Amino acid sequence: MAQAVEAALGTLAALLLAALLAIVLCSVVMRYVFHTGFVGVEELCIWLHVALIAAAAPLGLDGPLAMRMDLLSRRLPEQWRFAAADGFSIVAGLVFLFGGGEIMALLGGTSPALGLPEWIRFGFVGASGLMLLVVLALKRLSQGRELCLGVSLASGVAIYLAIPLLSVDTGLPASLFLALVAALGLLSAAPLPHAFLAAAYVAIAFGGGLPEPAIVSTAVSGMSKFLLLAIPFFLLAGGLLTVSGAAGRLVRFAETLVGHRRAGLAQTTLLTSVFFSGASGSSVANAAFGASTFYPELVRKGYAPERAGAIIAATSVLDNVIPPSIAFLLLAAATQLSVGSLLVGGFFAGGLMALCLAFAIHFSAGDPGTAPRATAAQCRQALASALPALGLGIIVVAGIRFGVITTTEAAAVAAAYTLLLSLAASGRPVHAFASFRQAAAEAAAIGLLIGTAAPFAFLLALDDIAGLVSRCVSMLGGGAFAVLLLSNLVLLTAGLVLDIGAAILLLGPILLPAAVAAGIDPVQFGVIVVVNLMIHGLTPPIGILIYVVSGVTRVSPTALFGAVLPYLAALLFALVVLCAFALLF
Amino acid sequence: APALVRPAHARATTVTIASLLGEDKPETKIWRRVADVVEARLPGRFRFNIVANGALGGEKEVAESVRLGAVQASLSTMSSLSGWVPQVQILDLPFLYRDAAHVRRVVEGGIGADLRQQLAEQGFIVGGFIDYGARHLLTKQPVTRPQQLRGVKIRVIQSPLHQKLWSAFAAVPVGIPITETYNALSTGVADAMDLTKSAYAGFKLYEVVPFLTETGHIRASGVVYFGSAFWSGLSDEERGVLGTAVSEGASYFNQLIVDDEKASMQQVEAGGGTVFAPEMPEAWLEGAQTVWGDLADVVGGMEKIKAAQGA
Ligand code: NA
Ligand code: NA
Repeated sequence: MAQAVEAALGTLAALLLAALLAIVLCSVVMRYVFHTGFVGVEELCIWLHVALIAAAAPLGLDGPLAMRMDLLSRRLPEQWRFAAADGFSIVAGLVFLFGGGEIMALLGGTSPALGLPEWIRFGFVGASGLMLLVVLALKRLSQGRELCLGVSLASGVAIYLAIPLLSVDTGLPASLFLALVAALGLLSAAPLPHAFLAAAYVAIAFGGGLPEPAIVSTAVSGMSKFLLLAIPFFLLAGGLLTVSGAAGRLVRFAETLVGHRRAGLAQTTLLTSVFFSGASGSSVANAAFGASTFYPELVRKGYAPERAGAIIAATSVLDNVIPPSIAFLLLAAATQLSVGSLLVGGFFAGGLMALCLAFAIHFSAGDPGTAPRATAAQCRQALASALPALGLGIIVVAGIRFGVITTTEAAAVAAAYTLLLSLAASGRPVHAFASFRQAAAEAAAIGLLIGTAAPFAFLLALDDIAGLVSRCVSMLGGGAFAVLLLSNLVLLTAGLVLDIGAAILLLGPILLPAAVAAGIDPVQFGVIVVVNLMIHGLTPPIGILIYVVSGVTRVSPTALFGAVLPYLAALLFALVVLCAFALLF
Repeated sequence: APALVRPAHARATTVTIASLLGEDKPETKIWRRVADVVEARLPGRFRFNIVANGALGGEKEVAESVRLGAVQASLSTMSSLSGWVPQVQILDLPFLYRDAAHVRRVVEGGIGADLRQQLAEQGFIVGGFIDYGARHLLTKQPVTRPQQLRGVKIRVIQSPLHQKLWSAFAAVPVGIPITETYNALSTGVADAMDLTKSAYAGFKLYEVVPFLTETGHIRASGVVYFGSAFWSGLSDEERGVLGTAVSEGASYFNQLIVDDEKASMQQVEAGGGTVFAPEMPEAWLEGAQTVWGDLADVVGGMEKIKAAQGA
């Protein structure tokens, strides 16, 4: 039953993604071929994107998309593992459901571009809250966790009903309580977006300035940015790149270039990751690809399993630094920085990080046998067959930077291009459709996180935390060095427990004004923020890249966290160089 | 946690105010001034929490937050409120208003009173009308006549009114967020756009669209407003003080904009921007009048438009 509901939601989300892709591509064609545009395309796409997130959000309850930190809950008896976590999910579901309902009554207004009532967009999220509760209940019942479900349902509903009756006046900022409750949710293994949403609701009792419907409207506004539409497209492109076999040809090309060096296959993994990064915007896609493609080969060539997994995870960090990059999209959406300028900064930073990783691999990986040097003819041949995939990166980056299309449109063109490659390769649309479903589910997980981080960001702004940070900085002298040092320490600490996307959305707008005031170039600073936080894909407790690699390869996360240390050191060194560069130039 | 539940009147009422821009901009300065004036007249009664730099969202999100009770007051251009009160678009009709004084007469007359009433019915209590200055045409190649816009890709805001205007001149509207606009213009995703002089200088757009044609096609009008739930919770005395402070604030804002435009144009000239006067006014007007016709029913009829024109 749970599976049937999930399958239906997944298909709906995949169809919405396909519709979005078709609409964005049509509008590009209309503009360049027919020299005309539609009224309201942008708005329509935003609404469909919200619908996509709403449809697929209930799918992210389990697996790596859930963003659960299960260090403590793992020690609980099997039956009770989700008792506390589900309490948060149930409060979150109720807030979406009833907050969305209140908006329908209170918001009013008609979208001028679409001529439809504005509440529809918020109604999607209300329905999503309901589906979340349904899927959660069905899942726990099918797992035989009736008692656990009963307890979390009772406590969730009790908290939901009690909060409006409470008023606790401590004189402390409400955002502090939001952070504390969210941390509690994180520790109890609730999905991070559910912890954020439930915490924003609990903050009402502590004088938080966001009433329930405003929590939901702020969350939906957070998702409602045209720029963010690039995320499902980049995820789709990453997935289809693998399905189409184009990624495999990238591997062969990289091998002809570096396969003969010391630790040749590991260096090939790195170089392939660089190529893949130039076409995909998602480190998770990169890690999943690397783990399924390189891991068996690396182990067969004699690399220790945890070493092989660590190399794959570490090289995947590059994907969000080398453009295109979802992390830069999030930062641009949160801080008004231009994506175009961030991308240029990302090229240099990514190149530097790749270089540092190449050295670390050279000295750490041992030398478990290398391939013979490829002949010039083999190189040319490999290059020719890799061109379609390399061409993708050129389309995206040139399209955004030097050319003709906006970031969102470039992402759509990239997705369409990989779709054609995969149809040409297999001729079976079934595989492609699976990629749509997967990309939609991943995009919904990211979109939900973006949305639920927005009420938190709103309260941080109300409590003027950015002002607090800049006052701290001026106490330290206010110089560029002090700002950079403090920012990096804040980011390195926050990144340990926060998801990378959430940290960008919450900390970017807080740290950036202080950096600009200290005379640091905002784009360079933005690159430093992203590089710093991406490194946390490799750190415990919630290093997402480690978990993805572990999920595919079945090597334990603990072993991977240990083996990744030399590469972590190399990436931190790159970060220091970037900071020094920002101070000197 | 120590639970100290105190009666609400014992402490200052928090007024959360959202401003789109930074501390040095008229959008924020107006609220600093209002807060000072109110504090002088009613000491300790209100705590103004002025959140600048768009940290609480764009104009439309802020208006939604005002309706849902998370924000109490803000500024807005007319087009962001047109989803609730379509009639406000009468102030956005292209080539209808000759200058700032003309708009002032309209908002101080019967049309302005109607709009106040309609906005109040939708939960927005108008404290005063403001004038952000006129929008002008900005291009990569000089454009002084409407025919030169044929096939030109122009960046437009998500508003049917704006899209209709540029389509009437056979230009191709492209929707691009303002943060990406500089990049899009420098790379050729768009070749033209329209904006007020202050914003033109503020975003340094003269570097990528160096030709400004003083079309003044749309006078960007707006309002200073309070949420009606907040407003109806105030005493008569408080309403009187806040209302006067905001009304004075609106005049202060309008003066700041005028000063800012002067400084902005000096910056534009120093940065290599060139200003042109539009030619063939009747051809510009002809395109604009198709928009008047399209929106006549929405804003209250062609007689109302003619009345605004003659004010
Ligand atoms: Na990338
Ligand atoms: Na990789």
